[in-house]
Amino acid sequence: MFLTSHLLAAPLLGIDISVGDHVQRKVFGLTVNVDIVWATLIAGAVVIALGLTLRAKATNGVPGKFQLLWEMAVGAVQKQVDDSIGPRGAQVVPLALTLFIFIFTCNLFEVIGIGSKLDVLPAPTSDINLPLAMALYVFIMVHRAAVKNRGAGGYVKHYFTRPFPKKLFLVNLFMNLVDELVKPVTLTLRLFGNLFAGGLMLSLLAALVIWKLGPAPIGAVLSAPFTVVWKVFDMAIGAIQAFIFALLTILYFDTAMAPDVAH
Amino acid sequence: MPIATSNFLVPNGTFIVVLLAFLVVLGVIAKYVLPVLNKALTERQDQIRGELEAADKAKADAEEADVERRAVLEQARAQAREIVAQANSTADQTVLSAEARAQAAHDRIVQAADAEVVIARQAAVEEVTARVGEIVLAAAERVIGREIRATDHHDLIDEAIAAVRAETTGAAAGAAGGSR
Repeated sequence: MFLTSHLLAAPLLGIDISVGDHVQRKVFGLTVNVDIVWATLIAGAVVIALGLTLRAKATNGVPGKFQLLWEMAVGAVQKQVDDSIGPRGAQVVPLALTLFIFIFTCNLFEVIGIGSKLDVLPAPTSDINLPLAMALYVFIMVHRAAVKNRGAGGYVKHYFTRPFPKKLFLVNLFMNLVDELVKPVTLTLRLFGNLFAGGLMLSLLAALVIWKLGPAPIGAVLSAPFTVVWKVFDMAIGAIQAFIFALLTILYFDTAMAPDVAH
Repeated sequence: MPIATSNFLVPNGTFIVVLLAFLVVLGVIAKYVLPVLNKALTERQDQIRGELEAADKAKADAEEADVERRAVLEQARAQAREIVAQANSTADQTVLSAEARAQAAHDRIVQAADAEVVIARQAAVEEVTARVGEIVLAAAERVIGREIRATDHHDLIDEAIAAVRAETTGAAAGAAGGSR
């Protein structure tokens, strides 16, 4: 028993894995994670480049593979929006599509990482700032859509009249406030947590190298295949998280834009 | 570059920069990429719809033409049947009348031939009867040429006459048989 736990703990004993390390600078009194900024800019540039390439090559004839990929993404988002919101949701399509492609691109950066203290190109979504920025933008847009849909009075009234009868308006207000405020928080933490954990996993797998069983370098042998398997898995996680973020955005808009009687 | 460890759950100034970056990406996708893609998609859908409509029209045309063709064919078949029936009845009539005429002609010919045969036979018999004397004389001369003994040669004369008779009868019968 002691031996087992000792062996498992051994790789971690001699190595210091810290989290939240960034290349930082002070800009106008604000701390900026420079590595996250450049990774974000590169991811954005990649997405914009893909978009402009499509713009240059788009044809109404037989589409190439590149265009087909775009059309598949747009078609999937469009279908999701049509199915849940209906034709009124057309304005959500660009946001949901951009969220999916941009987040997916950012998440793929994790494949480049080696789990060092500072990666050259960290996944921007593994830092809290970008997920939070996107989630808050979605939050604001959803509530703007809700006000547009119900009118200012209807929007406020909505907090008091559902889901219980009007007599319980205080309970309704409490539940609705929690519901609405939790949405951006969960949206942020879900994405951030998954990607952050992915990076942490890479660090742990890299640290595995120092694990030796007597003279046998077991950790060094296992580290590489484990890392490969993990990266493949991590790519799937990246795609799923991007999809979930976009899907939840659509669903939040659906709730905000739904007629009052529907729920 | 200073490296610092901070609480990873607390956002900092990076927030503003990445938010702007995201909005730029969103703007480019929404303004410059999606409209082009949607236009291409819509145009392709319109194109396909147009082609489908054209195909439907062509199919309808073909069906119409087929119906017309069938009608014409049916009409032609009916006409053909009518013509064949007419031709058959005409042929039957023709055959019947031809047979009747042929029978009539045949009967006439046979009658004429019979009559002719009878006449020829009579003529032949008369001629032979008329020539019997000559033949008898000729036979007699041949007999006399050697010795005159009528009793001895009576048989010979009779024989000659019988031969002539037989000959004429056989000829008449042969003529009658040939005409049938």
